[in-house]
Amino acid sequence: MRVVHYINQFFAGVGGEDSAATGPASTPEAKGPGRKLANLLGPDHQIVATVWCGDDYAVGTAGAMDEILTLIQAAEPDLVIAGPAFTSGRYGLACARVVAAATAAGLNAVACMHPDNPGLDEAGAAPVVASGEVARSMGPSLDTLAGAARTLLLGAELTVDDGRIGRLPRRSVLDEANAATRAVDLVLARLAGDRDATEVPLPRFDQVTPAAPVDDPSAVTFAFVTEGGLVPDANPGGLESARATRWLRYPIEDMSRMETGEWRSVHGGFSTVFANADPNRILPLDVARELEGEGRIGALMAEYFVTTGNGTSVANARRFGVEWAADIRRSGARAAILTAT
Amino acid sequence: MEGVGLTRLVHQVRGIEFGDRLALADGVLTVIRDDAAACFNSPGLASVTLSVAAPGESARIVKVLDAVEPRTKGPGGGGIFPGFLGPADAAEVGHGATHVLRGAAVVVAGYLPRAQEAVIDMSGPAADLSPLAQTVNLVVEFVPADGAPWEDVDRALRLGGLRLAAHLAEAALDVEPDAVEEPLDPGAAEGMPKVAALTNLQTQGTFKDVFVYGKSFAGEQPRVVDPGEIDDGAVVSGQFGHPSLKNPTWVHQNHPVAAALRARHGVDLCFAGVVISPEPVAMAAKEDISAVAARVCAEAGFDAVIVTKEGGGNADADMALKMDALEDLGITAVGLFAEMSGIDGTGPPIVVPPERATAMVSTGNYDHRLSLPAVDQAYGGERVALVDQPATDAMELPTAVIYCSLSCLGWGRLRALV
Repeated sequence: MRVVHYINQFFAGVGGEDSAATGPASTPEAKGPGRKLANLLGPDHQIVATVWCGDDYAVGTAGAMDEILTLIQAAEPDLVIAGPAFTSGRYGLACARVVAAATAAGLNAVACMHPDNPGLDEAGAAPVVASGEVARSMGPSLDTLAGAARTLLLGAELTVDDGRIGRLPRRSVLDEANAATRAVDLVLARLAGDRDATEVPLPRFDQVTPAAPVDDPSAVTFAFVTEGGLVPDANPGGLESARATRWLRYPIEDMSRMETGEWRSVHGGFSTVFANADPNRILPLDVARELEGEGRIGALMAEYFVTTGNGTSVANARRFGVEWAADIRRSGARAAILTAT
Repeated sequence: MEGVGLTRLVHQVRGIEFGDRLALADGVLTVIRDDAAACFNSPGLASVTLSVAAPGESARIVKVLDAVEPRTKGPGGGGIFPGFLGPADAAEVGHGATHVLRGAAVVVAGYLPRAQEAVIDMSGPAADLSPLAQTVNLVVEFVPADGAPWEDVDRALRLGGLRLAAHLAEAALDVEPDAVEEPLDPGAAEGMPKVAALTNLQTQGTFKDVFVYGKSFAGEQPRVVDPGEIDDGAVVSGQFGHPSLKNPTWVHQNHPVAAALRARHGVDLCFAGVVISPEPVAMAAKEDISAVAARVCAEAGFDAVIVTKEGGGNADADMALKMDALEDLGITAVGLFAEMSGIDGTGPPIVVPPERATAMVSTGNYDHRLSLPAVDQAYGGERVALVDQPATDAMELPTAVIYCSLSCLGWGRLRALV
């Protein structure tokens, strides 16, 4: 059967960080880790194309997934394989989005990454299997991936026994009893000694290791990021007041402060009266420009990023973070100030 | 010794119509339109319009603010909604008998700033999800007075809704109730585990506030109340954020956890009481209040506590802190959580989970999408703000917009599972 393999610019041999902005491309053969994967898949299956893309381009460019999906579909695959991405955040996010997009387009797909990869939740309903932490574990990771691929090509579903990771979708259903009655049942179960009974498994959050402190702020460009919903007064990008599914960027390059009346917070989670009376309370551009003028910080990034942090799903919030980091890194800024409300 | 709670004289209401006298007969409540509207006479309001929306109708109520169950203890409304309609008379509130018009509700709907779009569908797939789709609703739409500050409009609507609910219930004063629900006998559950409700009230400023005896509960300390006080409307909602996660006055009056505990009193547990607690804004205050709430529960001798919240992700922190604090004092804690796991249900379900107290009940996924059909009639506004569509259109909405659909107080049957 026909398999298309998605990898990033590094594993395609195009280049490292310096090539992360490279757009997608395709070649009609196995490439990089795909060569070993092709051997593991055996004679019944063939890698008919390798599609690759720079990580920054894949996660930070609007329409990147459409371009990648077009290249994948052109090879008419029976299965799309993405990765292994190990713990690499942008690569993991790209792999997760590729399999999510492929699945949404009706294709069979599987990604491979470490369980701590922040991209994991972006795979949506598409299956993901575990890789090791770093590329040194390529061998066993490819064994897992090839096994999962063969299972999928037989038309079977993946389970934890196949190395499947990530959350299985939680569906909303109507129970026979209301939640208050079920809470009483749970109290009685716990009092009777069942210390594990619960309807909601504890979510697993990844631990974020803070970046090292900035050695010399006067030599560094700072980015401004806020979840305070602060947008131009007419809200031209249509930022949501709650349950944000996107983030927006607006230029602040030639401005010394956020002028009252020109900016407005659309955040639905707090009274925005004080924010609108002086938008610098959400995005303290006035003070930042003073610090810049005094030479205490190097410069400010030309745009700020904004979303609304109000009932936002953790999966979306995590995606915003990965996209912001990629964008800020690409801009040359090396520090970010995130104002929260 | 007096029992826990009060005597409910329950009158089942199946229909509301307008007529020339206030009356309740054969389950039909007849309302004098002008008298009902006069409950809203206030400098903050130019006018109100009254309509009836009943279960099964092809009708949608948008921009829902509060909902109130008609109740009274006697002519003039004394003892009901204390602090709003009368004094907080300790001898009266929570004791004696209260007439309850079960199956009826006053529903106030219309634009207020900071009020997030809230929708009730009286039929279709969303109707099973909202308690106010199961009631015959007297819907109150309003026009604010010219130049009136929004805070005054909010106050006028709250007071008007409570007055109207008390007024409507007077129709039942001389009517034989369909059922009488007696106070609980504390002696019936001797030796059984003492289980209580710890009810968080969202107290985050104007339009996101809850009132106890007529005053904002912000800045107050957790305290024990008798279930009868809640029955008589000691807790009134002024909280218009997160429509699926709010507890309107109607839900407090019918406190689902209290009802579930009451149903098991003397069977396998002792319904030991209700503690109400504010949900402050700042993290340090959340920690302080949680410690106090746990101590109040310990001093009351509770063996187990069911903790509930109101509001979105930050209210999960109030839950988690209280649950952990209770478990640290050796009290079993169970929490009711709405899940926020994204449209496809694969994200982490809870924003701030407890660390040690892990018994959680699911009230459904906030982000799950619903396809609602077009309806014949809409109340509360011309458009649904969230999707900017005419209110009568077919539309796709997140469960988060359906009024009380993820009821943190446990009214609903919705849950999420793998």
